[in-house]
Amino acid sequence: MNLIKTELRKILQYPTFWVIMATYVLLQVLLIYFSSSFMVSGQSLGKSLYDFPNLWMRFSYIAYFFNLLLGILVIVLITDEYSYRTLRQQVIDGRSRTEAVLAKFYVTLGLAATGTIFLLIMGLLFGLIYSKDTSIGAIFGKIDYLSYFFVQAVGYMCLAMFFAFLIRKSGLAIIAFLAWSKIVEPIIHYQIDDSIDRFMPMKVFGSLTPTPGQEIIDGLTSPTLALSPAWAVLPALFYIALLVLASILLVRLRDL
Amino acid sequence: METVLYLDELSKKFGSLQAVDRLTLQVEAGSIYGLLGPNGSGKTTTLGMVLDVIRPSGGSYLWFGRSISNETKQRVGALLETPNFYPYLTAKANLQVVADTKQADHRHINKMLDMVGLGTRSHTTFKGFSLGMKQRLALAAAMLNDPEVLVLDEPTNGLDPQGIAEVRDLITRIAAQGKTILLASHLLDEVEKVCTHVAVLQSGKLKANGPVGDILSAQDQLLISAEELAPVLQLLERLPYVVRFAQDKNTISLTLSEGYTSTDLNRDMFAQGIVLSQLLVRRKSLEAQFLEITQK
Repeated sequence: MNLIKTELRKILQYPTFWVIMATYVLLQVLLIYFSSSFMVSGQSLGKSLYDFPNLWMRFSYIAYFFNLLLGILVIVLITDEYSYRTLRQQVIDGRSRTEAVLAKFYVTLGLAATGTIFLLIMGLLFGLIYSKDTSIGAIFGKIDYLSYFFVQAVGYMCLAMFFAFLIRKSGLAIIAFLAWSKIVEPIIHYQIDDSIDRFMPMKVFGSLTPTPGQEIIDGLTSPTLALSPAWAVLPALFYIALLVLASILLVRLRDL
Repeated sequence: METVLYLDELSKKFGSLQAVDRLTLQVEAGSIYGLLGPNGSGKTTTLGMVLDVIRPSGGSYLWFGRSISNETKQRVGALLETPNFYPYLTAKANLQVVADTKQADHRHINKMLDMVGLGTRSHTTFKGFSLGMKQRLALAAAMLNDPEVLVLDEPTNGLDPQGIAEVRDLITRIAAQGKTILLASHLLDEVEKVCTHVAVLQSGKLKANGPVGDILSAQDQLLISAEELAPVLQLLERLPYVVRFAQDKNTISLTLSEGYTSTDLNRDMFAQGIVLSQLLVRRKSLEAQFLEITQK
């Protein structure tokens, strides 16, 4: 509890935090709002995008792209502690190294919860205004996608946390995080068989928020072997635990 | 007396560099213990190891007779190298973060800010502080929960004369309350003025340690000369209180054992019919003593 209180003190008064969060909210609202005018096979998606219950699936897929921003925020928060030497001061003053890492893990949980609540509010807002069906059953029909999104956001941020503790410099850590999630792992995916690469971390995290309309695409081409969201939760939790443990190990074994 | 900190063969290697080499020493409660050595002699590395931020390559250390834990950390206030704070937070908010970590009473914050003369600047962000103010804030943070031990690494580094005087005054005031202080410094006169005990480090090795009086205030040197040097040399051989002597052209330099002065020497010379043409007492400078210790 004490750990969380201290983290809040640091984060809530940090202008950079508010700038990144404002960017997160603003860009996501814009994308959600304008995605209804996207053209798919010559047809505008239209307001049907906001129909319950599939809205939850579509919105969590949109939010998926913004996990990168949350990851960058986590990297900034952690590498700051290295450049200000405040991590070392906290270990001097009365904290174990494990607690120092756990504090940041709690921050990722908090950010993921914030992102999920934001998505819930956006979903209810757009859904109640535009959805044809606003019965309780429809509204809460596929709301479990929000929980998949939560796990995914935690996963992305834990990967970012790992790179931040590994590299300790914000610029390089951000590059490594983006390079791994968007270039290196996707290249590996092409090289190896689908039956194996579906268990790789970024693929697993991605499977939590499947592309809307994937079933239609699958009908036209050969179906992908990606895990269903419900099935991806277990390996995702495994990777999260692994990344947290690796971060703890890194911080415990090195000089600060 | 209770041992506050005990180092047993503590070592640290950075690659091929042996930064600290099997360092063994103990700091007793109530002492002001100076860790003296030139830059790069391993002072900060030693403090870093006992403060849990640098992992030792060998050896061990004990705080209050037990291994380091959050509980022992909270009994020690420490300032290692630079003042480490969040630049965007105010002085007060920074101390709140420290108070959380140390589980200190938040009501002490204003009192501490007043003590280091920052009471009126508590709402200024850390990045707007001068170096002296930053250093004072770090001292306030170190003393926040009234620790039994203070560890200070070059506390007057980079300060102007007034700042140096203030910090030294603060240290002596804290020490007067019976607290133990471990102070690393490369400034001889600082250690001599402030400390009760000293350990001299060079290239990571312990060169000497003990009470400051024994280590830094070595015997004075005498320079004598006479018309005829031969009988003087003969007599010096026989005088029991002459520790060593050496002839240098027309003068002889010598050191006397403790408790004897130039008066004793002059009287004995005169008693033997030797009249000295010169008798000079030369106090060894701290720098000379330090070089002597480190070159042993």
